[in-house]
Parts: sequence; structure tokens; C-alpha cells
Amino acid sequence: MTSTCRLALRSTIMGWLVVAVLSGGQASAAAAESASGHPSTTANHTGSVDVSDVSSASMTTDLQPILDEAEPGSTIVLKPGIYLGPAVIRKPLELRSEIAGESILLNESEESALIVEADDVTLAGIRIRDEAFKPQATIVVSGDRARIEQLWIATGADGISVKDADNGTITSTVIDWTPREVSMAAKGNGIDLFNSHRWRIDGNTVSDAHDGIYMEKSDDTIVTGNVVERSRYGIHCMYTARTVIRGNVGKANVTGAMVMTATEVEVNGNTFTKQNENVHSQGILLFDAHDSVFEDNKVEGNRTGFYVEQSTGNVIVGNEAIYNFVGIQLLDAESNVVEGNLFQGNVADAQARGSSNNEIAGNYWDGFSGIDTDGDGYSDTAYAINPFFQGVTQKRAAFQLFFQSPGMEFLEELFQNNRDDWSRDVKPLMAPPGFDGANPSHGSSKATGYLSLLLIIAVIGMLYMNRRRTI
Amino acid sequence: MNLLRHVAAREVKIGFRNPWAYSFMALFTLFMFSLLLIILQGYVSGYSGVSGTMLNLAIYLLPLMALMLGSFSLTGDKEEGNWELLSTYALGTGAYLLGKYIGLAIVLLTIVAAGFGLSGLAGSMFGGGFDLATYGRLLIFAALLSLFFLAIALLIGTLSRNRWQALTAAVGVWFFAIIAWPSLLIAVLGMLPYLWIKPAVTALVFLNPAELTRLFTVVKLGGGSTLGPEYYKWVKWILQPWGTPAFAGISLLWISILFTVSYVLWERRRGRG
Repeated sequence: MTSTCRLALRSTIMGWLVVAVLSGGQASAAAAESASGHPSTTANHTGSVDVSDVSSASMTTDLQPILDEAEPGSTIVLKPGIYLGPAVIRKPLELRSEIAGESILLNESEESALIVEADDVTLAGIRIRDEAFKPQATIVVSGDRARIEQLWIATGADGISVKDADNGTITSTVIDWTPREVSMAAKGNGIDLFNSHRWRIDGNTVSDAHDGIYMEKSDDTIVTGNVVERSRYGIHCMYTARTVIRGNVGKANVTGAMVMTATEVEVNGNTFTKQNENVHSQGILLFDAHDSVFEDNKVEGNRTGFYVEQSTGNVIVGNEAIYNFVGIQLLDAESNVVEGNLFQGNVADAQARGSSNNEIAGNYWDGFSGIDTDGDGYSDTAYAINPFFQGVTQKRAAFQLFFQSPGMEFLEELFQNNRDDWSRDVKPLMAPPGFDGANPSHGSSKATGYLSLLLIIAVIGMLYMNRRRTI
Repeated sequence: MNLLRHVAAREVKIGFRNPWAYSFMALFTLFMFSLLLIILQGYVSGYSGVSGTMLNLAIYLLPLMALMLGSFSLTGDKEEGNWELLSTYALGTGAYLLGKYIGLAIVLLTIVAAGFGLSGLAGSMFGGGFDLATYGRLLIFAALLSLFFLAIALLIGTLSRNRWQALTAAVGVWFFAIIAWPSLLIAVLGMLPYLWIKPAVTALVFLNPAELTRLFTVVKLGGGSTLGPEYYKWVKWILQPWGTPAFAGISLLWISILFTVSYVLWERRRGRG
């Protein structure tokens, strides 16, 4: 039925833009259709069909009148073209692009490009260009059960800002923070949740933003499979509870995941790499985090792999902290469990201060060589984390310059008093847990081989030239 | 110029007949190989546990080698009368010292090249080892470290009358610059007002070539953020395009100043003698 109706419509209006709005009678049917996962690609029905006709293909049109004319509960399908913001959605409806990514919402005002005030609004497939550097977020959502899927957002503010709205989803959306030459602190967040609970944020990509995904006072949100790059913090929880952060990837951010003043957060299977440029960089940071679980994450090549400060009751198990400058840093952290993690290739395996009451056991530290007399795979001697350097640099940050300097290592060896109070792994693993001998990035070292060969030839030549001649 | 070349060539020749040079070469190569065994467990790129350890072991060994070989060469000439013999020729102090420096530098760099060459080759053959950038930076680091401490060695050789004095001074300088440095700075500077500490530490770093080259290499290997917020500007400065030439300039200046001091002192003694 749809194709014939569409043809009929096309023939009557001959414009590049078709906006078909379902009549109220079909609203519930359309809502059911979209809710069932089969979004209608066109809208076309008898009844009060309202069409905005634009005669020239090069023209742009305002989005707001289209929204105003739509019936509550209807589906608006945007033909490819450029639509002008700002716009406000005040009734439940579905706004989608006929061809994903071909309908562009352009906003050059200082306002938000799109404000969703109503509940049950769906946005899909639209490309939004809102690149002015400004405080108003590109999309503001204050209605419950919003569904945002597959948008492309170029923003100069917060990408999607959700406030006091629950039970929404944001999926497969790409958010790119585009203005250049703006300091990190002045940028907006990719996705920003405030006092909004039970959201699902899945498969989105955020780059060059302030925080990729920021959640404040927003509980029970599930954040899965997102990618955040070159932003300040990848995923950032503040005052949240029961947040699930699973299978996300962070690259070259200041910090991968930041869990602050949060409880019962679950962080597992994430990968955070190359967070090492900034002096405050970490793979995963826990500050004032409690009773949370951090499992099977991989933090590689960061300044600090795990940074745990003033946090209690957390479980950190089965993670891989490799090739970081510092594997794990414990500062005034108590009664956490750190078990079965791999710490390999870090410049310093661990640093700790005021954190003696944690359960640290069964981790593999490649900087530690233990003795296993009973052959159970665990060392009989404990790995104690020397707090000396932490203590010195806490009082006088200038001495951070001695990080891992030979003289500093010597000095640490000398300071062995109160050894009983040190954080320690009571039975470190003798071999990496389930280690497959894999190198993280086994690049070609052929060039190194040639250079080495050259050096050897030079040495041989030198020795030959200066050999003792028997004359 | 010709004289300079003669002195340098003689130094190289004597250097390679000196069992010390070979034992140092064996020692350095051995420790590079032992590191290689660790490296083979993982690929080394940038600032990591292995490259950090390597950096530190080079800091232990190379300065000691340079200090001993360098200062012994000069005091040996004094003790064995070579210098008196050479003085009878029209040989300037400048040409003599510079020839010595160049000759000894060639010997030291050969030792470094042997250690790096063998371990690098073995690494690439066994399919582990370094990426080129890290390897190159560590090599440059080791070479620079040798050249810096060779300049100090010339000064020690100039000031010492015999090998025993030279040995005492060399070990003293080595211990002071490598082992005791952080302890001394933390102890002494800890008494300064807080705001003076950073400028003082920064200024003193320029006096200790071991720290200077180590920090430069750490930053170049991408580990600048380990130095903390205090040194953010320094790290940025080193990483900008002018960072490397500026560092090369500082190195050259540093070695030249030490060389000039040695020259002046040697001249004065020569005049008196």
C-alpha cells in the first residue's frame, strides 16, 4: 500500500521535500509499529495529510513548522535535504530521515538545534550540524522514553544533553566535537545525563569532546560498546549508582573511565589505551567509589592503569594493566579486593600510600620475582609496594622528576621501615594469568635488525683496523 | 690538525689494546643480552618497564666506563711519561686533549655499538625486540651519556696526578651523580621553601648529565607525563621541533665548557711544569 500512496503524493507535489503526517487515527498504529522494531520508512495515509511544499531543490526549510503541523504520535519522514533549526518537539512523535544521514538539520543559531520536551519521541538517521561554540546543547532531551538512534552530530556544545528524563536510549550515534582551537575545559560533553535514570547508551562514538559520556545523579544507566576518542574523560560517572559500563573503548583521552562518588558501578570488559599525554591521565580512575566491580578490563599504555583514591569495597579482578607508566596506584584506599590482575611492562608496577587494608592477592607483577617452593603457582614471598616515592612526591611534587631514576630506586631500597604497613600482594602469581605470550603490538623490528647489523659491522671494522699487526 | 688526528688514532689503537676496553665491552654486551631475554617476553615500544630498566642499567654502567677509561688514559700518560715525551714535540694541549677525547669517544661508542648491535640483531632474529624509534633513542641516549661522562673524565684526568687519584675521583663522581643524586637533592632541597624547590631541582638537573639525558630520553620515549604537572611546560618544550636541536646545543655547550676547563687547568700545569 505504501508505494502507491507515495507515488500519488509525489506526483501531486513535485517537490523534493515530502512530509507526510499520519492522522490521529493512525497514530497508535505507527507508534506500535515503531515500537516493535520495524520503523516505518514512509508515512502516507489518507486522512489529514499535510505537506510542506518547497518548490526549489536548492532551498532549505525550517523544521519547526513541520513539527508543529504533525499530529501527536505520528511519524515524520524527512526527505534528503537541509532543514533549519532550532526546533522544539512538544508532542510524542517519530522524526526520521528517509535515507539515513541524508537529511541534515542545520542550526546556526545560539539556541539548541533540537529540544525534545515531549515523552516518547524517537529521532533517527538525521545528520545534525550545529557547530557554533556555545553553551546550549545541540539536542536537549527532557521527555521520558526518548529513543535516539543513528544520528550524526557535529557539535560545538554538549552533543546530547538529557535532563530530568528517564528510560531513554541513545544508540549508534556519532558525535563529533568540531570547533578547533578550543581548550579542553571549555568544550561540551558528547552525551550528558543529569538526574536521568535507567538510560541505555549503546554503540555510540564520541570524539574530541570534553567528556564522552557524562552521567550525573543518574542511576541504573547501561553504557555499552561505545567508543570515545581524544576527549577529556571517556566515560564519567558522578553521584551515580548501579551504572553498568561494559565493552567500551577509549583511546587517547585524558582518562578512560572515571568513577567518582559512585556506588555499585559495574565496569567490565572495557579497553582503554594510550591515555598518557596528560599529567593527570589514567586508564580507569576510582575516586570515592564504593562497592563497585572492575573486571576483565584492559588498560594499556596509559600514564596510570588503575588509579584508586579514597575508595572502599571495590573489587578489581582479572584486569590487564600493561605498558602503563604506573600499573596501579592506591591512595588512601581501603578494603578493596585486587585479585588475579596482570601487571606487565609497566614502568612502575604499583604505587601505594595509606592503603594497607586491601585484599591484594594472586596478581602477576612482572617487576617482582617471587619464590614458589610448594609449586602452587603462587609466590611464597609477598610483593610489598614501597610507599616512599609516593610520600616524597606528595609533599613536594617537584621531586616527581626522580620517577624511576636509578638513585631513587636505590633510596627506596634503603627505606624499609614500617614494612608491615605497606600495601602488599600476599601471594603474587609466578606467571601471568592465562598469558598467551602475546605482545601487544608486535610490529616489525626488521629495521632495528638492519641498524643492529650496521653497528656490528662498524664494530668489527673498528676492531680489525686496530688489530695488533704481527710484523 | 694532523697532530690531532695522530693523537686520536693512537688513542684508539691503545684503547683497543687495553684489556679494560674489552672487559667493558663484554660486560656491556652481556648485560644487554640479559635484558634481551627479558625483552623477548614482550615487544618494547616507548617508555615501558623494559626500556625503563634498560635506561637505568645504562646509567649505572656507561658513566662508570667512561669515567674510568677516560681518566686512566690521561693519568696513564702522566704516570708512564708519555706526556713528557709528547711535550717535547710541538704538540699543543688543545690538540692533545681533543685528540684524546675523540679517540676515547670512538672506543666508548664502539663498546656501545657492540652491545646494542648484538642485542638488537638477536632481538630481531628471535622475533622480539625493539621498534626502531625506541631502539634509536636508547642508542642515542647511551652514546650521549658516554660523551658527557667522557668530558668529566678528562677533567678528572687533568686534576689527578695518578691512576689511584683518578679512580677515587671517578667513583666519587659516579656515586654522586648516579646513586646519591636524588637522596642529596631531597635531603638538601627539602629544607628550602616549597616554591624554590622546583626551580632548584630544574637548575641542578642541568648540572648532572645523567639526569639530563635520562629525562630527555624519558620524555622523547613518550613518558613525559610521569614527571607530573610541575614539569608540563618542560615536557612540551622538549617535544616541540626545536626541543632536540636545543638539547643538542646544551649538550655541546656542556661538553665544551668542561673541555675548556680541562684545557685551562692543563695549560696552567704545563706552564708551571
